Amino acid sequence: MLHFIKPNYLYFTLFLFASCEKIITLPVKDNESKLVIEANITDKVGPYFVKLSKSISINESKAYPIINNGTVIIADNTGIKDTLKYISQGIYKTNLIKGVYGRTYFLEVNVDGKKYTAQSTMPNKVNLDSLRINLFPINGENQFSIIPVYKDPIELGNSYRFIQKINDTLDDNYNIFTDNLNNGKVNQRPLNNGNENISIKIFDVVSVEMQCISPSAQLYYFTLTQQGGAGPGGGTAPTNPPNNINGGALGLFSAHTTQTKVIQIPFY
Amino acid sequence: MSNFFKKYLLLLAIGIIGFTQPIQSQDKTTVNGTIKDKLTGESIMGAVVKVDQLPSVVVTSNEYGFFAISLPKGKYDLKISYVGYEEKRVPITLNGSLTIPIFLENKNQLADVVVASKRKDENLIKAQMGTETLNMKSISKVPVIFGEKDVLKTIQLLPGVKSAGEGNSGFYVRGGAADQNLILLDEAPVYNASHLLGFFSTFNSDAIKDATLIKGNAPAQYGGRLSSVLDVKMKEGNNKNYTVNGGLGLISSRLSIEGPIQEDKSSFILSGRRTYADVFLKATDKFKNNILYFYDFNAKANYKIDDKNRIYFSGYFGNDELGLGSSFNIHWGNKTGTFRWNRVINNKLFLNTSFIYSDYSYNVGLKNGETNFNVNSNIKDVNFKQDYTFYLNPKNTIRYGFNSILHTITPSVFSGTVKNNINKVGRNGLENALYFNNNFKANQQLTFDYGVRLSAYSIMGGDVYNIYKGDAKTSSILLSKNEFGKSYLNIEPRITTNYRINDVSSFKVAYARNVQHLHLLSNATAASPSDQWIGDSYNIKPELADQTSIGYARNFKNNTYELGAELYYKVMQNQLDYKDGTNINTITDVESALLYGVGRAYGFEFLVKKKLGLFSGWISYTLSKTERKINGINEGNWYDAKQDRTHDVSIVTIFELNSKWTVSGVFVYNTGNAVTFPTGKYSFGGQTLYQYASRNANRMPDYHRLDVSVTYENKNKKKREGSWNFSLYNVYGRENAYSISFEDDPADKSKTQIKQTALFRWVPSITYNFKF
Repeated sequence: MLHFIKPNYLYFTLFLFASCEKIITLPVKDNESKLVIEANITDKVGPYFVKLSKSISINESKAYPIINNGTVIIADNTGIKDTLKYISQGIYKTNLIKGVYGRTYFLEVNVDGKKYTAQSTMPNKVNLDSLRINLFPINGENQFSIIPVYKDPIELGNSYRFIQKINDTLDDNYNIFTDNLNNGKVNQRPLNNGNENISIKIFDVVSVEMQCISPSAQLYYFTLTQQGGAGPGGGTAPTNPPNNINGGALGLFSAHTTQTKVIQIPFY
Repeated sequence: MSNFFKKYLLLLAIGIIGFTQPIQSQDKTTVNGTIKDKLTGESIMGAVVKVDQLPSVVVTSNEYGFFAISLPKGKYDLKISYVGYEEKRVPITLNGSLTIPIFLENKNQLADVVVASKRKDENLIKAQMGTETLNMKSISKVPVIFGEKDVLKTIQLLPGVKSAGEGNSGFYVRGGAADQNLILLDEAPVYNASHLLGFFSTFNSDAIKDATLIKGNAPAQYGGRLSSVLDVKMKEGNNKNYTVNGGLGLISSRLSIEGPIQEDKSSFILSGRRTYADVFLKATDKFKNNILYFYDFNAKANYKIDDKNRIYFSGYFGNDELGLGSSFNIHWGNKTGTFRWNRVINNKLFLNTSFIYSDYSYNVGLKNGETNFNVNSNIKDVNFKQDYTFYLNPKNTIRYGFNSILHTITPSVFSGTVKNNINKVGRNGLENALYFNNNFKANQQLTFDYGVRLSAYSIMGGDVYNIYKGDAKTSSILLSKNEFGKSYLNIEPRITTNYRINDVSSFKVAYARNVQHLHLLSNATAASPSDQWIGDSYNIKPELADQTSIGYARNFKNNTYELGAELYYKVMQNQLDYKDGTNINTITDVESALLYGVGRAYGFEFLVKKKLGLFSGWISYTLSKTERKINGINEGNWYDAKQDRTHDVSIVTIFELNSKWTVSGVFVYNTGNAVTFPTGKYSFGGQTLYQYASRNANRMPDYHRLDVSVTYENKNKKKREGSWNFSLYNVYGRENAYSISFEDDPADKSKTQIKQTALFRWVPSITYNFKF
């Protein structure tokens, strides 16, 4: 919850001292190209998709290489086993597996003779009841943010991810909530209201997707939120976010719920 | 372990030698006294007392100016010297024990000393290593940002001490973390020594007498932190005359008043400071609702009950306020209070009893539409200390005593619309220490300063303590209030040896073990007021550091130049870090996410000073390496700590053109901090993510900067003194990197651009200081 305090603190330092920004070049170390797995199962009707690609060096500027010769299998704890079918662009599609609350899914990916495995259990669904507008003025200017209204269950350990689109443009902030604070209560915490590139204004249409995510997905996304710039003014020392994939691949296998609501900001 | 015993036996052996010096004959008598400044009545610590007739006798005054020497009956001449003061010769006739007050007179000439040593060749005679004392007068001409002289900024120009960077008042000593420095203000620990995002320190130079930094080889009366002790002492206040001091600057002003309560018996000093950057913010459209200021206040009074008893009271409080309209605010502040009672028990034994209180708290408030909450953290100490100085004979000065501290640490407690899931309560811990230290002058060449500190930390009740093995919680212990849990007991042996090779050079060797029971967890690479302290627990063991150092000191040209070189090697155990993706402020039990490991640091420090003359200054250079190895970070391999900087250079020059004009300059250069830059990138969820390899394998760009300041002093008028200080920070406008981030190039998303943010280029400032 508090991760937004640090950027604010930084903001003070920066505005105070007429900071100057510039684009620089730095020597970079060699990169080991790794497999990237992006695999999701949701509570919506399938098919579900798995994307395989590879990482490239930081100073390369080409399209990310895709993997079209992998084998991808997803099984669940009821004995269903589904071998995915390759479509295109590194994307593989499920045939028969179904996303069900509480069920555990097993992913197996084989690429160039190397095997990668992961498992994820779909959490129970917490209903997104509605969206509300949170209005607050900063320096006399109205700022808007969205509060997703849902009631957190009394059991501890629920995690949520929210994906916000403002007029169909993806807001690339990660909104990861847990019940480490305010467990069992109706949520009052607003989503991040954009950044310098994107923010919510009057008449904007905002869509919010709520995902109930597993603890491993929470850890993965929350680690991403913590990675600011390097240096004395930066965030925590960045690392590849810890994920649930064995075998040394980047990315995540996530079984989660999904539910989307839309709201328009009226005139104030 | 056997190694440890060897060291211990060695200590014991030296102890025995120390005490089996020729038994003193019965007709020995003692002369003691207090050394003070004649003009202000301030007591002088570290003044050197010599006996003309016995060249081997050298005694230095303690923190309260007290000294004692045992001598056979007879006639002697005492020679008392302290830098910046006229040497005083006092003839005495010892028939029985004698108490004499000694007043030293300020040298009536240009302040000709930059870094004050108490005696011109003090660096050669003392068995103390890695120690520097700065007095306020001597640092007043060193340029600093915003024109505000600052002891914390000046010590960062010394070898082995590294600044944590702009916008950060933390400092690193010999590879230690910022929380491994014990910062004392009149004996009271100061938990956050920074104001205004680190651009100012909590030490108002008008209220400060001097500051001593000891880099890891502190005598046994100090303890509790691994890397260093910064012992800051407040002025006592002039007990002869009333004086008013002050300064007006562009963003801050200060004022202090001192004077006698009863002449020669008691005095006081009151000193306050406030910034007014917020006044300027109000004038701007964009930031008019922003709040940004700090203030602090120092007060001290002392009262001489009789010749044998004196009491002191000193206090500090300061507050920082930062806010964004009504939607967001942070405030933090320290409060400290010290009550001391000096007592001369007999002519050889001096006792100081202290009651100390220290409180640091921070509060973050957020009001964002309907969300409205506060987060509060707090650390409180109540501290009782008795410290004896026993002048056994001219060869042995013994310090012994004990110290008991009750810590109460309350981690982030939420209130308002956001609440913790479990009721977070403060944890108590009791830290006890018993120490013994002897300064033993074996002969004119050889001096030993050795001692041992026995420290204990007891976990106390009021909270549940969980025990973890790896990731799993194995059990929980509920301690009720005032119930004691586990205790950690540590023995901390220390020894420093000084061998004076000849009149101009000396060789030193030292070993010390330090133990730390309080640990700072930080969410970021930079120090922030929201960083959280935690005491030892069932999982967290005391941090240990063993430091060995050797040094060589040599003076040139009749002590005009001083050269010092030291090598150190330090091994640290039970170092703390936490797992990736941990939010230490909201996690229910932060101990579930901690990682443990070891650290090592080694380096070479070099300092050459020109102490006297119209042109003075110093060059300091440090070559060092600092590494950490933590289970669960960087695959358990050694990695460079963030504060590892290979080269660190500071050059300070002060040139007094005439009695009115002084020009000074500071140049600093250091290798960039060790940081982690991405090596690769990939696409995930429609966004570019970065791939990282080893921790801290990259470097920030080199940091360097030149500051210049000009001081004009007007001493024409008899009673009133005024001075103007003009300074320019970062003269050649180097954009030093504050942070570096990687992002998609907006022009071509397939490219990555590296963006560097620098805080500022030039910072000019003007300050007017006055005294009447």
